[in-house]
Amino acid sequence: MMIESLLFYAFAALAILSALLLVHIRNIARALFLLFIVLFSMAGLYLFALADFIAITQILVYVGGVLILLIFAFMLSNKELLDDLQSSSKRFISLPNWQAIILALAFLSLMIYSYISWAQDMPEWISQAEAKGRMILPTDNNIKILGFKFMTQYVLPFEVISVFLMMALIGAAHLSRKESNK
Amino acid sequence: MNTFLHISPVTASILVTLLPLFACLVQALIGKKSISGNIALVAIIASTGISLFGVFLPIWNETTTLQKWAWFTIGERTLEVGIHLNNLTVLMQLLVCIISLPVHIYSRAYMKNDEGIHRYWMYLSLFCFAMLGLTVSINLLQLYIFWELVGFASYLLIGFWFTKETAVQANKKAFLINRIGDIGFLIGIALVYAHCGTLDLSVLFNQTGTQIAIDKNATWVTFAGLAFFLGAMAKSAQFPLHVWLPDAMEGPTSVSSLIHAATMVAAGIFLLCTVFPLFNDTVLLVVSIIGTLTALSAAIFALGQYDIKKVLAFSTISQLGFMMVGVGIGAWNAAMFHLTTHAFFKCLLFLCAGAVIHEMAHLKAKAKLDIDPQDLRHLGGLRHFMPKTFTCMVVASLSLAGFPFTSGYLSKDSIVITAYEWANHLGGVYVLIPILLTIVSLLTAFYIGRLIFKTFFGDFKYRSYIDEGIVFHEAPSLMLVPMFFLAAGSLFPLFGISLTDYHSAWIMQTLDAGTHSPILAQAHLFIPILLTGGAILGWFMGWRWYVKQKYPLSENNRFVHFAYKQGYLNEFNEHIFVRGTTGLSRILYTFDRYVVDGFTKLFSWLVRQLSVVAYWFDKHIVDGIVNLLAGTMYYIGHLVRHVQNGQLQTYLGFALTIVVLGLLYLLIK
Amino acid sequence: MITLTHFLVVSACIFCIGLYAVLAKRNTIMILVGIELMINAAILNFVAFGKYDKVNYGGQVFAIFAIVLAAAAVAVGLAIILNVYRHFNTINPQNIHELKD
Repeated sequence: MMIESLLFYAFAALAILSALLLVHIRNIARALFLLFIVLFSMAGLYLFALADFIAITQILVYVGGVLILLIFAFMLSNKELLDDLQSSSKRFISLPNWQAIILALAFLSLMIYSYISWAQDMPEWISQAEAKGRMILPTDNNIKILGFKFMTQYVLPFEVISVFLMMALIGAAHLSRKESNK
Repeated sequence: MNTFLHISPVTASILVTLLPLFACLVQALIGKKSISGNIALVAIIASTGISLFGVFLPIWNETTTLQKWAWFTIGERTLEVGIHLNNLTVLMQLLVCIISLPVHIYSRAYMKNDEGIHRYWMYLSLFCFAMLGLTVSINLLQLYIFWELVGFASYLLIGFWFTKETAVQANKKAFLINRIGDIGFLIGIALVYAHCGTLDLSVLFNQTGTQIAIDKNATWVTFAGLAFFLGAMAKSAQFPLHVWLPDAMEGPTSVSSLIHAATMVAAGIFLLCTVFPLFNDTVLLVVSIIGTLTALSAAIFALGQYDIKKVLAFSTISQLGFMMVGVGIGAWNAAMFHLTTHAFFKCLLFLCAGAVIHEMAHLKAKAKLDIDPQDLRHLGGLRHFMPKTFTCMVVASLSLAGFPFTSGYLSKDSIVITAYEWANHLGGVYVLIPILLTIVSLLTAFYIGRLIFKTFFGDFKYRSYIDEGIVFHEAPSLMLVPMFFLAAGSLFPLFGISLTDYHSAWIMQTLDAGTHSPILAQAHLFIPILLTGGAILGWFMGWRWYVKQKYPLSENNRFVHFAYKQGYLNEFNEHIFVRGTTGLSRILYTFDRYVVDGFTKLFSWLVRQLSVVAYWFDKHIVDGIVNLLAGTMYYIGHLVRHVQNGQLQTYLGFALTIVVLGLLYLLIK
Repeated sequence: MITLTHFLVVSACIFCIGLYAVLAKRNTIMILVGIELMINAAILNFVAFGKYDKVNYGGQVFAIFAIVLAAAAVAVGLAIILNVYRHFNTINPQNIHELKD
């Protein structure tokens, strides 16, 4: 148990610290690499929630897809983008936008407060699930069950989301076409 | 006879009083057109006749007659006007008429060619009306009214030649000092009314004493007596309120003879005789002392005067002092007797002096001299030019000095001898009063002798002018006839058969004083001899000094100068009262100007400052609030404008703020 | 012991950081990154709750769908950013204020 807690805290700390650093770095390239670390840490955290398939999917799709996309988009962009960023900060660490900080902190405090007061008073289905042993166990074969679920219970959303993905990509491709001669 | 032409004495008395008033009013209406004075003369002749036959003869030695009419009512008290006729009042009324008549006749000649003669007749008639009304008043209030009127007429007549500065000053002085006396009179009236409830003379007093019981030991009686005496002091020129009488000589001589010698100044004595039953011993002693003091001081002052009229004025004051002593020792009948005789010879003295002054003024005008026609130092040896005037004046002087065969001898002796009997009765220090009176009599003889010698004897200074051809007349017959009439009245036969016994004089027999001290037979013998002998001695000394010019002392030595300056009384009054009052008025003026006005100015300054503050307040605070409000609105608008800046993140921020607030609300709820 | 609350707290932190990035960053790509963080936090939430649902496996299934959606969102977002850049010549959201009146 000790190792587990320690690892969990390590992954959580990594994720949070990377995210904090991510929003402070001026250099977008470095920020995107920090994002990479964040995503990996999140995947680790998924594992602790006994969602191994989600973790792998996260790494495959998010890191391998989205992050790469962002990096390529950033790297292949114009020089003006880079200039635009450099010129915006004169000092090394400029005062961050204080309204946003206050808002974020307010949100955070609100949510943590509600979680902690909620923790005293868990909803029924969770306590029943714990009581009747309908929790996911580490020994479960998640992939197999997920596969079954996808093909039987959730086949409609599955199909819909694949159509949706196709639409999105087509749309994106269309949006970003080069209009050479009008 | 009880009625004259079937007119009751009361009606006759009213007629006597009102005839001069009509004359005054008619003269006032006609004005400058009537300058002969016939209207006034007719009125006074009629008054005299009616007074003698219609009033005096029916009432003298008969019962008291009176009549009154209600005048006004306050609450439950009624005050009346009316006529009160008893021995005293009818005697006084007749005396006024008999003295006024010669003066009116004399004035026709004396005041001829004067510019304001029409005013003169008017004022003279007014005075006669007031004086006649005073004598027969039924109550003290009516007496007071006429008293004031008499003072007013005197004021008008003293200042008759009002263009002369000294005349104006003199009549002001007379009026002011008489005012002091009037306060006393008024206080006396108030006290009597408060304690007795009535002012009616017939109810309060009659000749046998009071009808209403008055406790003579009460303090109010003393104060009332002193108050009435104060009134008489001012009117009858007692020391120290005598200072107006010498200055009153600024008026015409005929006025001086009537008013300031015979009648008005006697009004004070008349008042005291009327209220005599009110006086207690303290008041009477005060009266005697002041009377003696007056007589003595006036006689001394008369010794040093150079103006004929001033000598006679002081002589009047001195004789008034005599009369006061007469009242004070309780022999008010003797005082009334002396008043009557004094009226005759003093009026005569003034008329003779007036004749002399008249002729000297003519000489001055014709010879173009720069002299004062009244100054004794310019006169002398006039008996050669004015023998008849000289005779009359000698008769009057003898009467004044109390020489036998004159009426003055009877009246003066009555006072002096009664004084000795009184002092003898009381004993001790009281004998000082008769002794002083004797001294005053001797001084009287001396100063009147001085006057006669300096005027009529010796050499005339301006004889050279007469030798050159300027004529120096005797007085005209219109002046001489009244003078002769008065001279006849100054001799003894008018008043009594007996040469020496004053008790048999008809005035003394009828007027009964009610108080008698035991008779001193030696006094009856020695005093007349002493007085007559002293008078002759005094005249001899005067003859030596003034006619023979063997004057022992230097011309202007200290004593003479002191007497001439009237004992520096006028200077004293000037310094203390006049300067004091003007100084006070100056202080009050300064106070009013700086303090009272200062307050007003301060107040106005405060109000102005207040207005400045209000303006500032209005400008900065009231406007300021409005401006502040507007500025705040502008600023808030300016701030809120930035909400809509078109930036995505701002919008998102606001949206999330609301969400947070909503969540907060839900959590708290 | 790792309870549900731990996961939720971590998820909240990531979410708020993402929120900050959306509100305060002056680069549109960073805003996109922020959105990604927020979606990730949501997915963590789903997965945490999904542990208690053996019957339906609802949490994990929805997590997969969310990942797909996120990817699609990034793609389309980038396309939009490209168009915006072509039009406004800037990717600083504070310079894009044509909505201002």
